[in-house]
Amino acid sequence: MAVRRKRSPARSKAAREFVSEVDELLERMRVDLADLGDQRARGALVPEIVNRLFRSAHTLKGVAGMFGFEGIGALSHRLEDILDDLRMGRLDPGAPAIDLLDEAVAVLAVEVDLVGRDEATPEGSAELIQLQERIEAALRQDPAAPAAPEPLPFDEDLLRALTEYEEHRLRESLRSGRALYVVDAGFDLLAFEEGLAELSASSRALGEIISTLPAPGDAPESQIRFSLIVASELDAETFDRRLDVPGASVRTAHAAGAGAGQPEPVAETDGARAETVASVAAPAAPVREERPADPGEWAPAGETDPSDEPHARPADDLESLKSISETVRVDIRKLDELMNLVGELVIQRGAIGAIAEQLLGEPRVARLARELAKAHKALDRKLQELQAGVLEVRMVPMRQVFEKLSRVVRRLRREAGKDVRLEIHGGDTELDKLIVEELADPLMHLVRNAFDHALEPPGERVAAGKPVEGTIRLEAYQRGNHVVIEVSDDGRGIDLDVVRERAVARGLIAPDALLTPKQALDLILLPGFSTREAITETSGRGVGMDVVRENVTALGGLVHVESRHGHGTTISLTLPITLAIIQALVVGVGDQRFAIPLTAVLETLLVDPVAILRSEGRELLNLRGEPLPLRRLHAEFGLPAPAAGARQAVVVVGLGDVRAGLLVDRLEGQQDAVLKPIQGPVRTVHGVAGATELGDRGTVLVVDVAALIEGAGRRREAA
Amino acid sequence: MRHILIVEDSPTMRSLVISALEELGEPVRISEAASGFEALRALPRDQYDLIVTDINMPDINGLELVSFVKGNAAYRSIPLLIISTEGSERDRLRGLELGADAYLVKPFEPESLRRTARELLAKIREE
Repeated sequence: MAVRRKRSPARSKAAREFVSEVDELLERMRVDLADLGDQRARGALVPEIVNRLFRSAHTLKGVAGMFGFEGIGALSHRLEDILDDLRMGRLDPGAPAIDLLDEAVAVLAVEVDLVGRDEATPEGSAELIQLQERIEAALRQDPAAPAAPEPLPFDEDLLRALTEYEEHRLRESLRSGRALYVVDAGFDLLAFEEGLAELSASSRALGEIISTLPAPGDAPESQIRFSLIVASELDAETFDRRLDVPGASVRTAHAAGAGAGQPEPVAETDGARAETVASVAAPAAPVREERPADPGEWAPAGETDPSDEPHARPADDLESLKSISETVRVDIRKLDELMNLVGELVIQRGAIGAIAEQLLGEPRVARLARELAKAHKALDRKLQELQAGVLEVRMVPMRQVFEKLSRVVRRLRREAGKDVRLEIHGGDTELDKLIVEELADPLMHLVRNAFDHALEPPGERVAAGKPVEGTIRLEAYQRGNHVVIEVSDDGRGIDLDVVRERAVARGLIAPDALLTPKQALDLILLPGFSTREAITETSGRGVGMDVVRENVTALGGLVHVESRHGHGTTISLTLPITLAIIQALVVGVGDQRFAIPLTAVLETLLVDPVAILRSEGRELLNLRGEPLPLRRLHAEFGLPAPAAGARQAVVVVGLGDVRAGLLVDRLEGQQDAVLKPIQGPVRTVHGVAGATELGDRGTVLVVDVAALIEGAGRRREAA
Repeated sequence: MRHILIVEDSPTMRSLVISALEELGEPVRISEAASGFEALRALPRDQYDLIVTDINMPDINGLELVSFVKGNAAYRSIPLLIISTEGSERDRLRGLELGADAYLVKPFEPESLRRTARELLAKIREE
């Protein structure tokens, strides 16, 4: 489907630079691959080397793409895939795909030589294309197992800046029972590298440096502080003693030897709490359904269903009694009112801030102005606390839904006589009550899909070398301002070939469409893709996935599918923690402003009107070779169009697998916005999700991205 | 004159970014950093109107840099543009959460980079 770039790789200075950099990258890869070979033979990979190989392939892909060498780009992409799977622990170090890496580097070297002599074609030699296919086949044959993330017992602030890979290394370290230490040290800003190198060398001698974070925060001007996250097998005392770098301090983020899968809770972090695996009652055990109807009103009795435990703790009852007296039931509408009031206060505070700022420019009242500014700042802090407090009251633990699901699985198991274990993690993760309620149905759907379709019958499982008992895993964890909920199974996984065939048959894609595995997987989320007949036996998953996606996007969330044929499927739902406060990109259309939830914004561009293409009455933009459907916000909301020929800004929005560009006049910046329900006539306007107020800028409407992307007006009516 | 800091470990990519930004339509001064560490050293030395950074880098990664820049009162207001290769959606999203102002996916057309850069420079001008 990709449109070939019409840029001919010229024999320019840039092209020469390209060849020399790629030569260097390939040389480094050859050295690292030789090391990797030794490591594989010894059976112990060095993560640092694997990651460096990944980075080389990644850079190679990037520069090849920029120069329009699609063949080199595609083959490096395959290399990157293999190395990414390997470094993220999704691919077994013995996998045959890894054997092809050396060959791929050799083929790339020949290709780059052709580039140097200006004899290369963008798509690459036949040999290169063929190798690419072989790698794809090898990866299909030996699919990587989906990684199952666990909550990290770590300070959220430190986690925020970690890349996916660093987070993976953190998990691996926990799994292998290593301790995690945070080493803090400050250095002279102008010569920090020397000191840091010394600290890094000492740390590396004691373990693996997972991340080096320059500490944000306003340190003295001449200083810069770093935090190193180090995984080590040493205990805290030994680590501290052996580190022996003056001025460095060591914190224990996670103690050693906590064991795989069951990290101990960490006293000094208030991040994700570690939990033990909970399994629902074994089929033979008597099933008791004596829990209170709404577990949320009761004290947390741990993840484990009491009916599973032979020795139920008497303390549970006491705690439950105690919590009843301390809990108050509140109508959610009252909380909404409170939230609105807080929102209005925030806006008033903004007005006061603006006045304070103006007064600061008046010399006659300078002293008073400074005091007003100070008071304003204090008010701001307290308001933030108030806002956080009200939000917190709306939060309920995911356990409420998880327990319902575990009852459903128990019932299904009784009825179907299927051996299925349900694992629940992260039940303490909190979400806005409204979101939790809306999630019950989609999650039920996913769990039923996994139970009915994804998990194979016992005979098939045994033949595939899997335990007879299938596993469905539910996990919730927080990530920044979002909560991720995963439903995974160790069933048959999704067969991409079947998905493709089906999508072609249904007219969703062209027969010759080039799709990455991810794009192919995302097809199952499209309306009209799944029918019971199409999915049940063959691809294992997919009944009504479009409905799941619709429900989740209506909550401002995303659906992500990961699957390896034969190994299982993970569906993750990423949701905002609350619907009440959103981060928004404020855009201008004519004299109006709109807010677009930042969670849906992928990128922003400026376009010349001539770059806009028209096809079958729809407007498109060629975005790096992919057609991007456009929607003009003027037209959507009946506003006057801008002057002809004026440059326009495009906000590229995406939800799950679908993207669209929203044409607007101006981009005005990011802002926290308190979402308010709309009353009155606007309520029914297509494409509007609500309203928000932006301090001095008045009320603006919040764009309903899902409705605009789908264009079909399937706006969800609020419950 | 506007001053742009480019943080990118690939020399080729760096020179592509530089040559794209040299044709911005207004005179700009461009400083290069070949690693996150170099960027950390460059930041206090001068004033910048825009930072363009890669994510995948050897010493400290782009997210750590974003977190540092947006967590420091002295640098917070400098617009920051992330350029990264497709396939790192999660890290890109994390970048925005950390306060990055925009991002571009490689490969991009030089003109997309210029437009985004102009947009971000205009934003700081308005303030």
